[in-house]
Amino acid sequence: MSIIFDNVYKAFGPKKILDGVSFTVDTGEIMFILGKSGMGKSVTLKNVVGLLKPDRGNVFVDKMTINELDEDGLEGARKICGMVFQHPALLDSLNVYQNVAFGLRGIPEARIRERVLECLKLVHLDESIFKRKPPEISYGMQKRVSLARTLAPGPRYLLFDEPTTGLDPITTNAVNELIFELSRKLKVTSVVVSHDMGCALRIADRILVLDQGKVLALGSVEEIKKSPAQLIRDFLMEAI
Amino acid sequence: MALKFYLLNPLIAFLLGAREVGFIFFKTLMTCLKGPHRIREVIQYMYSIGVGSLPIITISTAFAGFVVTSELAHQMDTALHTVEMLPGFSGQFVFRELGIVIPALLLVSKVGAATTAEVGSMKVTEQIDALRLLQIDPIEYLVYPRFVASIIVITCLTLISIFVTLVVAIAVAVLKYNFAVLEYTNALTHFVANKDLVCALVKGMVFGAVVPVISCYYGFNCSGGAEGVGNATTNSVVTSTIIVIILDFVLTFAFSLVL
Repeated sequence: MSIIFDNVYKAFGPKKILDGVSFTVDTGEIMFILGKSGMGKSVTLKNVVGLLKPDRGNVFVDKMTINELDEDGLEGARKICGMVFQHPALLDSLNVYQNVAFGLRGIPEARIRERVLECLKLVHLDESIFKRKPPEISYGMQKRVSLARTLAPGPRYLLFDEPTTGLDPITTNAVNELIFELSRKLKVTSVVVSHDMGCALRIADRILVLDQGKVLALGSVEEIKKSPAQLIRDFLMEAI
Repeated sequence: MALKFYLLNPLIAFLLGAREVGFIFFKTLMTCLKGPHRIREVIQYMYSIGVGSLPIITISTAFAGFVVTSELAHQMDTALHTVEMLPGFSGQFVFRELGIVIPALLLVSKVGAATTAEVGSMKVTEQIDALRLLQIDPIEYLVYPRFVASIIVITCLTLISIFVTLVVAIAVAVLKYNFAVLEYTNALTHFVANKDLVCALVKGMVFGAVVPVISCYYGFNCSGGAEGVGNATTNSVVTSTIIVIILDFVLTFAFSLVL
């Protein structure tokens, strides 16, 4: 049970984004994907859930070949993969309760309410914000609600696309702690796309560094710290 | 090279766009047949489209009715030295064009623009990707309720618009050209038949179906932040306006053959 990228290529027009990327995310681990902007980090995540398809190569999630699935087939993969986007991506026309409950279908209303509350508690929120619409709560809270919505269907894989973008340092730390806490508590496999080497060093099990569409380095925190690559040295310097 | 740049590339882009619009239209029709019918959302959109557009459409069509009736009467008077045919000409013009196209174009500029801006913002803030991941089809959730609401509402707005324009036309004829109300309405019935009303309603329904599909298409294909949303909205309004005018011609021609 894992996520496997097998020699994946993806280009937008003449621009190569992923150039033969291969790696495996093991069950239960927290993997950080680091790299400069435009190096294919978000594209990598979107390939996992079939929002984008590779030009060549294969992406496997729990032995499903994602790139070969049609929209109906992808439903199965999307049930086990939850993704938290760079933006909170909450539906403005719905309140917090309706947003978190949005992905819960075919179960009794009482159970939905219970599950929504459970997920909000996991992200340290409560039912006092049930009736508030996304623009009426802070950006940090919107991010937490977004995470609660992702958790609600009970995914086995959590994908985070720059979850701390636009947050102040205190909320950034809180969100990072939350990712760690949830991954361990719910025993899910987490892939986090980030620029934040400091956070990666603190909570990642392994780190993957992408550069020019290729895997520059992949290893444990200690292995990454010892890497001689200039880009990684720059990231490490920034983290210090 | 120039031929490819100026002719071939736009043509390919147009054909790909047309294919995608066709796909959205087809999938929306399939949702109409199979559901989910999302009654709550349909009613919400009916309220926002209908109630929001009613004052604008009433005022615009009233003034358009005033201008057209006055102008027709003036030209008739100048050329024929009589305004006897005013009820027939103004009535036919209202039923066949004015009462239908004005609400449709106002729907394009108000509802079409708002739809593209809303769906476009959802696209650039990844809300549409979030819908997909929650196994909600964006066409079912975003296009279908607007499609149904728009068809129902524009049909009603067409009727209201025709009524308002006719009332204004009668007022002009009575107050300025000394027609009696009954005289005007009797003359009107000689020129306007039930088939004109049917044509008006069919045209309204077609325009109501086309506008949300095109608006959502531009929203779905929006990229690049606020500027992208602005460009998509402009393109959506321009394209929808052109398509409404072309469809008006096509439908008028088709009805002239059939009815």
